Amino acid sequence: MTARRLLVLVLGASAVLPLALLVVASLAATWHYPALLPGAWTTAAWRPAFAAGGRLGPALVTSALLAGGAAALAVAVGLPAGDALARLRGWPRHAGAALAFLPVAAPPIALATGLHYTLLRLGLGGTPGGVLLAHAVPAAGYATLFFTGTFAVLDRRVVLEARSLGATARQAWWRVELPLLRRPIVDAFVLAFLVSWAQVPLTLLIGGGAVRSLPLEVVAYVLAGQDRDAAAGALLLTLPPMLLLLAAGRLTRALEVPPP
Amino acid sequence: MTAALVLDGVAVPFGTRPGLAGIALEVPPGGQLALLGASGSGKSSLLRAIAGLGPLDAGRVVVAGRDVTHEPPEARGVVYLHQAPLLFPHLSVAGNVAFPLEVRRVPAAERVARVHAALDAVRLAELAGRRPHELSGGQRQRAALARALVARPAVLLLDEPFTGLDPALRQEVREALVALQATHRSALVLVTHDLDDAAFVGDRIGVLHEGGLAQVAAPAELFARPRSLAVARLTGIPNAVPASLRADGTAEGPLGTLRPGAAFAAPGAVTLVFRPEALLPDPEGPLAGIVRSVHARAAGITMRLEVAGHALEARQPDDGPPPDIGATLRCRLREDRVVAVAAEP
Repeated sequence: MTARRLLVLVLGASAVLPLALLVVASLAATWHYPALLPGAWTTAAWRPAFAAGGRLGPALVTSALLAGGAAALAVAVGLPAGDALARLRGWPRHAGAALAFLPVAAPPIALATGLHYTLLRLGLGGTPGGVLLAHAVPAAGYATLFFTGTFAVLDRRVVLEARSLGATARQAWWRVELPLLRRPIVDAFVLAFLVSWAQVPLTLLIGGGAVRSLPLEVVAYVLAGQDRDAAAGALLLTLPPMLLLLAAGRLTRALEVPPP
Repeated sequence: MTAALVLDGVAVPFGTRPGLAGIALEVPPGGQLALLGASGSGKSSLLRAIAGLGPLDAGRVVVAGRDVTHEPPEARGVVYLHQAPLLFPHLSVAGNVAFPLEVRRVPAAERVARVHAALDAVRLAELAGRRPHELSGGQRQRAALARALVARPAVLLLDEPFTGLDPALRQEVREALVALQATHRSALVLVTHDLDDAAFVGDRIGVLHEGGLAQVAAPAELFARPRSLAVARLTGIPNAVPASLRADGTAEGPLGTLRPGAAFAAPGAVTLVFRPEALLPDPEGPLAGIVRSVHARAAGITMRLEVAGHALEARQPDDGPPPDIGATLRCRLREDRVVAVAAEP
């Protein structure tokens, strides 16, 4: 086996093994050191997850709505912002990119503290809307940087060609530019979704405990020492992004515009 | 008849260098104007300004009798075709050709008929369903031409459309262009630095030089009678010899006394310009030249001769063997093909 193959194997194992461990842990009735596998098995952690009064099901829905909304908002902001940044040259472009990068680079706690203060003043503290807006800030930063790169390599002459062929600016956007941007839009949406999906500090501080997302529930289970429930929640946390990436992969292949 | 395109005192900036100024010309409906110029002479900038895709400093652009100077690109009745065929990669060939009709909301039945006719005209009907990346370079150019002309614009602007095509494709696309244009009767303005393209497509050729239109004439007239040394050089005339033009129309210089076929300069110091075809090997000729080099070209064999201290280019007759390098060759100059232009200061 070559060193390169061994490295790939190690990387693959490091991704799969923790997930496999979570599966086992979520089904373990008793599992004590140094036993390699649990002494007894149970589905106790999974049964109440989606039952009435269960915490994981509603938290999953909340997280999906937050991440979907934040991603949509991030794309809506990042698309025009990236377009504008890509048109700039020299220091204004660098300054704009730095500004977009700020919420990405800032430590989440620092960002959450700043946003907490602002959103409280706006009356959005402890509300799902406030948390969604807070999630959208770093997500929009990522989306803006992503779209800046997209627009930097977009051949804008096709838009001029469309205008010259009789299309109004609006028609050129809908009929030419947007179809060419479909794949980057899907990619940016997925990226922004993932940024929001894993948020803990922003949800904790802005939501103030009133907005219960899935990562928050998992953290709560871990802190309470409920390992089986924490494992079930963590697995649940992993599934939607994987499904989304799978679906996005298929979609982007279908939307791929071949180079002319 | 209302001109398809009128440029009236047009000034176009380009970058930090002085731009074009005072450009005035007319192209009738169905007319074909080729604009020649060196790289950086502002040819493409002028086309983009006419199309509304680039800045215009001054002057008016009138299309089919309508002043469109301040109109957006889509409202000018002008289509600008880039040097590289910019087909929309997400649309099929038919979708591309239908695009100008769709944005103008042409009814579906008429749209289908016109797209079909346009694709037929460029021999792409069988490839209507293909995507641009599945076409060859020549097919893409033809599809772009069909798309440009399907909306029947008053004026079609072509920015070096044959650049980068091999000779066979070049001919294929040139012929498609001329055939399409003959059908649609759009006025055509082509910019190029290629004399062959200009002469093939243009019924008139304009030469851009130092920010202005140096000369506009029919190809035969322009090639035979350039009005300045710059135009002579841009139209590929390699031979330029100083002389003194007399009031009686004769010119005296290193090549002797001769009567130029045309003179575009006042008596005094002039430059005599002539093509290689005007300098003919002739055993009885009055001029003696030393053969410095011989060049085989697609159009025939040319020779560099040193005549009276000047390096001149002459055409080798088709029926004779090429002369030896260093040999002395007698030759004569066809005076009717010599033009006297103002000497450069």
